[in-house]
Amino acid sequence: MLLVLSEEHKEHLGFLTQVDSAVVGEFGRIAVEFLRKGTNPKIYEGAARKLNVSSDVIQHGVEGLTYLLTEGSKLMISEIDFQDSVLVLGFSEELNKLLLQLYLDNRKEIRSILGELAPKLPSYHSLEWRLDVQLASRSLRQQIKPAVTIKLHLDQNGDQTTKILQTDPATLLHLIQQLEQALGEMKTNHCRRIVRNIK
Amino acid sequence: MRFRFCGDLDCPDWVLAEISTLAKISSVKLKLICGQVLKDLQGEGIDYEKILKLTSDAKFESGDVKATIAVLSFILSSAAKHSVDSDSLSSELQQLGLPKEHATGLCRSYEEKQSPLQDSLRTRSLRLNHLDSVSWRVDQTLSSSELQQVNEPLVHLKFTVRDGDRGMMEPFAMTVSAEKFRVLLAELRQAHAMMKTLS
Repeated sequence: MLLVLSEEHKEHLGFLTQVDSAVVGEFGRIAVEFLRKGTNPKIYEGAARKLNVSSDVIQHGVEGLTYLLTEGSKLMISEIDFQDSVLVLGFSEELNKLLLQLYLDNRKEIRSILGELAPKLPSYHSLEWRLDVQLASRSLRQQIKPAVTIKLHLDQNGDQTTKILQTDPATLLHLIQQLEQALGEMKTNHCRRIVRNIK
Repeated sequence: MRFRFCGDLDCPDWVLAEISTLAKISSVKLKLICGQVLKDLQGEGIDYEKILKLTSDAKFESGDVKATIAVLSFILSSAAKHSVDSDSLSSELQQLGLPKEHATGLCRSYEEKQSPLQDSLRTRSLRLNHLDSVSWRVDQTLSSSELQQVNEPLVHLKFTVRDGDRGMMEPFAMTVSAEKFRVLLAELRQAHAMMKTLS
C-alpha cells in the first residue's frame, strides 16, 4: 500500500533536499521527540537562525516528516512500500535510506503512542454500597422500605467521577441476573468459536 | 467449602494460595506484621520498612511481602466485616492450612483490635453528605416598601454541608418565617423522637 502525498506535503518536504543529511537526521530526531512530548516552537527559531532560512520553512519540514512517519506507522506499510512512496519525492539515494531507517527504528514506538489516542469510555474503578431501610417519612409512619444505595467510581483518562444510584432489592436482583446472563454468553458456542479464532 | 469469615462464601483462590506464604514466617513475626496491618486498616498508615525487616529472615521477595500484606488485610477486614469471633476465625484458618500457632497468634491480635477496627469500618461506610454545623440568626422586620408597620420575626439558617467525596464544605442558607419555622421544628422533633425509639 503506497502513501499518497499531497502537493503541499511534497513542497514542505522539498526543503529537506537543500540541506545535508546530518541536518535531516537532526530533523528526524526532533520530529520523533515532538511525537513523544509535544511541540516546542523555540527549536524552530534556533534551527532557522543556524540554517539561514525562515522558521516557517523549518516548521513545515519537521511537520512534513512527522506526518510521513505517523501515516506510515498508522498503516504499517512495509519497507518496500515506504521506499516507493518516498521515491516520488525525488530525493537522493542517501536521503531515502535515512528516511527508511528513521521509519523502521521508530515505527513501534509511534504505533504505541497512536494507540493511546483512541477514545475511551469511562471505565470501572470501584464500588461502594449501603443497605438502608426506610421506617417512616413525614407523610407516612410505620413503613418498611429497603433500598440499596450504590456509589460507582469511574475513571476516564485519569479523571475520577462518581455516580450515585439507588435501587430496591428486587431491581438489584434483576440487575445481577442480567449481568450473570451476560457473563454466561461467553460460554456459548458462538462466542467460543470467535475467541478461538482471534487467538 | 463455605467460610464464615468470607461471608459464607468460598474462600478466594488467591487467599488459599498465599496461606502457604504466611506459614513461612515465624508465628511471632506474623503477630507483629498483623499489628502493622491492623494499624493500616484503621487508617494510621503502614510502616513498610518494619515489615520488610520482619520478613527478611524468610527471604521474601517484594512480591511475597505485598502478597502477605494483602492476604492479612483481607482476612482481618473480612472477619471484622462479618463479625466473626476469634475462635471461629482460628479454626477456619487452620482448616485452610495455616499452622496452629500462626492461627492463634493472628486471632489474638484480631481479638484485641476487633472493636476499634469495626468502628473505623463503620465510619468509612458510604455516606453521601454530612451536616457539619448550623448557625442561625433571628431578625425583626420593622417595615417594608409594601407595608409601613410589619413587625415580624424572621429566622436565618445556615447549614454547612460536607461533601462526601471531596471533603469540601458547602454553605447552604435559607430564610424562614415564624409559622414555617414552627412547622419545621415540629416535624424535626417527631423525626427525632422516632430516632430515639430506635437507638
